[in-house]
Amino acid sequence: MKEFKPLPDQPAPNDTVGPIHWVKDNFFSSAMNTIATLLILALLATVVPPLVDWLLISANWSGTTQDACTKDGACWVFVIAWSKQFFYGSYPTEELWRINLCVLMLIGVIASSQLLNKDWRNKFSIPAFLLLPFVCILILDGSWIGLEYVSTDYWGGFALNVLLAAASIIVAFPLSFVWALGRRSEMPFIKSVSILLIEFFRGVPVLALFFMGSVMLPLFFPEGTNVDKLVRVWIVLTLFMAGYMAEVFRGGFQAVPTGQYEAADSLGLSYWQKTLLIILPQVIKVSMPNILATFVMLFKNTTFLLIIGIFEVLSTTQTALTNSNWLGGHSTEGYLFVAIVFWICCYSMSRISASIERKLDTSHKN
Amino acid sequence: MKRLTSVIATGLALGLSFGAQAGTLEDVQKRGSVSCGVSTGLAGFSQKDENGTWSGLDVDVCRSVAAAVLGDASKVQYKPLTAKERFTALQSGEIDILSRNTTWTHTRDTSLGLNFAGVNYYDGQGFMVSKDLGVSSALDLDGAAVCIQAGTTTELNLADYFRANGITYNAITFDTSDQTRAGFESGRCDVLTSDQSQLYALRIGLKDPSSAMVLPEVISKEPLGPVVRQGDDQWFNIVKWSVYAMVEAEFMGINSANADQAKSQGNPGQQRLMGVDTDSGEKMGISNDWAYNIVKQVGNYGESFERNVGQGSPLKISRGLNAQWNKGGIMYSSPVR
Repeated sequence: MKEFKPLPDQPAPNDTVGPIHWVKDNFFSSAMNTIATLLILALLATVVPPLVDWLLISANWSGTTQDACTKDGACWVFVIAWSKQFFYGSYPTEELWRINLCVLMLIGVIASSQLLNKDWRNKFSIPAFLLLPFVCILILDGSWIGLEYVSTDYWGGFALNVLLAAASIIVAFPLSFVWALGRRSEMPFIKSVSILLIEFFRGVPVLALFFMGSVMLPLFFPEGTNVDKLVRVWIVLTLFMAGYMAEVFRGGFQAVPTGQYEAADSLGLSYWQKTLLIILPQVIKVSMPNILATFVMLFKNTTFLLIIGIFEVLSTTQTALTNSNWLGGHSTEGYLFVAIVFWICCYSMSRISASIERKLDTSHKN
Repeated sequence: MKRLTSVIATGLALGLSFGAQAGTLEDVQKRGSVSCGVSTGLAGFSQKDENGTWSGLDVDVCRSVAAAVLGDASKVQYKPLTAKERFTALQSGEIDILSRNTTWTHTRDTSLGLNFAGVNYYDGQGFMVSKDLGVSSALDLDGAAVCIQAGTTTELNLADYFRANGITYNAITFDTSDQTRAGFESGRCDVLTSDQSQLYALRIGLKDPSSAMVLPEVISKEPLGPVVRQGDDQWFNIVKWSVYAMVEAEFMGINSANADQAKSQGNPGQQRLMGVDTDSGEKMGISNDWAYNIVKQVGNYGESFERNVGQGSPLKISRGLNAQWNKGGIMYSSPVR
């Protein structure tokens, strides 16, 4: 009997593999594509070399004043000289370890949520993340825990953006959940109050809310009770955020099948047992991508604080640009720096959120 | 709606009048620092440096009040404010003094529950031209293209001035100072108009600052000065005389270097200003060597001017209107006696 012997695998024909063919296939497959490729190449050739030259090759890196910027390229001296202000604000130099400590703790908590197994993640990472902003506020303020008091006038820079975003999201999270529940409630009063709150904070531009917080609110307080400006904007940011997240949660509630509610009811669970043990976990799982997207939005919104004179990173940049020793027109470098810092943070957040989504994914679609 | 508005207005008025009764001086002494509203960044007037230290002509007003009241010019809490917030912050008691390049106008003085405590810089709208243009006066600018930074008063003043002099012009409006400067630099306009103090700041931002010059004409009055809440006359007096003391010290030839000498061996007028044999401080509820502390720690007006905006700074603004009254300017202090 003749045994079947497959022929050895043949390499693919030469004209269908290899880098040259790949290029041909992807960039020069038709006349139109060829023209587009050539045009884009020409564009890159005119834009990239001067850009790299300006950014890196003839950029100025060393020195402490703008007089050191003698070459034609970017004056990174400006960013380097102001870097302490950009990252830490006017926080006293000898107390900077407090901010560094908070940053380390934040990195630690994020790392733990990625590295620990599920059990420990629930026991450690989540509570730690929820407590972190408040611990940091205590550490940064100092007066309650026996450290030297540092007034919020000195807080600033990028650290403040991160802190405000984190502190707002963590308070907004439970608040928005309650609002979303309230909106689904069958009690007319609770329902209408919830709708009013959600629609007000979602419908009014965040800039208008900031102005209310900084300009109008103080006039309504009795004399002598000055609520710190930072606290006022924190409240504003939290409420604004809660309005948005409540709608995200509402979408989550609607995505949970009615069968889940009915099953919980038929098991005789109380309203809160049903909500917290059956519905909430599923809601969070469904809403996670949107929650994280909202968080990235909130983080970027913290730069709006510049219009009410809080020295977060963008307004620190503008302040630096108006210093009479740095009036040589460094706005491009300054804004580019802020853009890069924000991009790095937001991109990292979207990577982390993607990995959280993978971890939460228990569906059977595979 | 009308009723609601009036209820709110009454509420605000009540709040303000309560605020006015508080003794700012006691508050400041109890707190141990002066809370001072400044701008979020204006070259030469209130600016932060890389180390977070505040300096500037407006900042020096805060420092001189702190020196007068607390004996230490460094005891100031700076509250950076935007133009929109500044009056609210003062009305609500968040700050004790507003020293934020604020123009003293009738409306502000009479209808906001505020008092202007003097003038620390006489500003006014001016023109910057390229030297190549070869003009020496704004009256030669017939037919010129003028770059304006958006802002109602600037445009209004310009229109008024040119119409009054029968000059035609072509206005090009920009949003931010960076854009205005770029417009001027790229030659889109022959002239750039803004407040003079701003023109000097814009000028050093040019690639070649020496190619442009500021014309001598000033077409509007912008007296800038510190502001306090109405109804606290003691505090009003302290701020007013702190500003005066710096001007008076310059007039008398006392500066931070010779203040000690003026106190011990000066002529009677100098000694009186420095707090010898006088109760000038007691009358305001502060120590008698208040003016000595100001001059010693902050300097006289001339020193402050040159250090922050004048020849000792990158701005290099000439004294002009801000020179002493006997040197061609209008800086004049009522006598301290």
